[in-house]
Amino acid sequence: MAVAGIGNGMAALLRADRLSQRTRRALVAYLLLSPAIVYFTVFFFYPIGLEFLASLHTGQPLIGESRFAGFDNYMTAFQDARVRQSVIVTLAFAIGVTAASIAIGLGLAVLLNRPIPGHAAIRAIIFFPYIISFVIVALMWQAILDPYTGILNSILAELGLPTQSWLSETSTALPTLIAITVWKDVGYAMLIYLAALQSIPSDFYDAASIDGASPAQQFRHVTWPLLTPTTLFIAVVSTISQLQELAPAYLITKGGPADATRLFSLHVFEAAFFELNIGYASALSFLMFLLILAITFVQFRLLNREVSY
Amino acid sequence: MADFAAKNSPDLAAEPGGWVQEFGQQGLLRSLNDFVEQDGKAIGYPDDWQAYSVERNKLGDQYYGVQIHLTCATLVYNVDMLKAAGFNAPPTTWEEFRKVAKATTGGARFGFAPNPSIGYYWSWFLQNGVSYYDAKTNKVNLDSPEAIEAIQFLSDLIHKEKAATKPVVGADYEGPQKLFTANRVAMIITGPWDVKPIRSGNPKLNWAVAPSLKHKAQATFAGGVSLMIPKNAKHPTEAWDLLKRLVALDTELAATKEAGMTMPRKSWAENPEVQADPVIGSFGKCLPYAQDTNAALRLTGKHARIDKLLQSALEEIVFNQMPAAEVMPKFAAEANAILASK
Repeated sequence: MAVAGIGNGMAALLRADRLSQRTRRALVAYLLLSPAIVYFTVFFFYPIGLEFLASLHTGQPLIGESRFAGFDNYMTAFQDARVRQSVIVTLAFAIGVTAASIAIGLGLAVLLNRPIPGHAAIRAIIFFPYIISFVIVALMWQAILDPYTGILNSILAELGLPTQSWLSETSTALPTLIAITVWKDVGYAMLIYLAALQSIPSDFYDAASIDGASPAQQFRHVTWPLLTPTTLFIAVVSTISQLQELAPAYLITKGGPADATRLFSLHVFEAAFFELNIGYASALSFLMFLLILAITFVQFRLLNREVSY
Repeated sequence: MADFAAKNSPDLAAEPGGWVQEFGQQGLLRSLNDFVEQDGKAIGYPDDWQAYSVERNKLGDQYYGVQIHLTCATLVYNVDMLKAAGFNAPPTTWEEFRKVAKATTGGARFGFAPNPSIGYYWSWFLQNGVSYYDAKTNKVNLDSPEAIEAIQFLSDLIHKEKAATKPVVGADYEGPQKLFTANRVAMIITGPWDVKPIRSGNPKLNWAVAPSLKHKAQATFAGGVSLMIPKNAKHPTEAWDLLKRLVALDTELAATKEAGMTMPRKSWAENPEVQADPVIGSFGKCLPYAQDTNAALRLTGKHARIDKLLQSALEEIVFNQMPAAEVMPKFAAEANAILASK
């Protein structure tokens, strides 16, 4: 038996020896990629498939009793006014945070890319909120923004300016959440832009100067185009992240007042864990997955231009 | 919930209020009828418990849980602020309450600070004789003139009379307590959970607890925790034994001393030590007329969804100054459509 086994192994090796170099390379590549493939299959593709399956059931698929319902949950979601409202709020939130993070992050990066005194400390201070838990951020900003005891209104009152109910007005609640999230995340955009700015060869700026380009023209015609891949990266990563954001609404406003800050993830969370409507929550999650996929595709098509230097 | 989902439930579980019937309906809990039959008389269950605290833990004639902690909210007031405005006693009716709130408002101080959490709005509804849901018609009752009057009363107090703070939207419900502790609000509606923060936050504050207000009825909302034994409990007898010890009168009295908690037993409320405590005793006196606001609605399995709609509707009125007569019928129509759906 042992002799036969060794013989089979040799035959296999000989067959392998006859494999083309290209096939062998592919086999090695798949072998090396297999840990990542297994990881993504177990922790991403399988749960996505499971979630889609759950979305086709009513009741409590995955945790309790359920009944197959086809696409009923999806039909309900399309007819649900609160879902439409939360999608609009979420898109406004994601676009607001992403646009402001890019604009402010780039501005800060350009300013701090110069050898100004204390620039390292300033960069660290701006980046610091990014590494803080949102729970701490939420508690801090709630205290600052409290209309009756908050420091911001005290300052406004001292200056003779009208005080505001920042989080209690439907017109200001969402912009306030956007501002808090930008404050927390802008350090990340700044850091990425700083790295990109420092990788642009100085020859371009020297050439532009010789041609008589002003600093504004240099920024418009040299810096900004060369930062396109960085902007694409930040736009995609930030949009995906903000479309899934739960913490600001959950921790600061609970979606109020009157659903003005009801982010989609909060709606899904409540459908799943307050209403115990797991099938419906799964359908909502899957719809968000498709929306993120579509938005990311559009972003790539719009911003993914070849840049070389 | 995760333990139940993973089929790894404990032998004895405490729920945060309102879960017993829902879990019972799903067949996740063990009926306690045999235990109650065996030990009920000895431990005083159910006769020694406030009746509604027994009902909220039953499905039909089956007991699925036992209330361990029962609480409620009532009017808490700043004695000195009221005295300074010429009131030697707390208000007892809505009209008196409005007068006191207006008289104590001035400068950076307000007469009343309402809480934005949905449960707190129920004080006003219940005092105007409103119930959440009618099981016979399978409809909510919150489009009634009484419901509209109740929430409009609160909204007017904030926006027209300017005698109350606009509620601060947020994930916690400590805002009114903080303003009260800071001596900036004359009255709040709260429960025993705020006693410790008020005492530790401002030991010099001269404050007291009043009976709940009365309009059509004297009422307030109840809350609290129940114990339940999961169907898959490995040691149900031992779990019941522990439950009996936890709900014993001596344990309840000790917990009151230690944590200032109010309890579901009638004999607890009648205990001389409890009655002698000016704060806990006053909260205890409200328990007999406290109500479980959504007990009937919970049995439909749709209360969480409807509660969210209600929260949004109430915020339209209280935050956005929309007329209650416009918002509440719209809410009722949406809620009734959910109730009518499969």
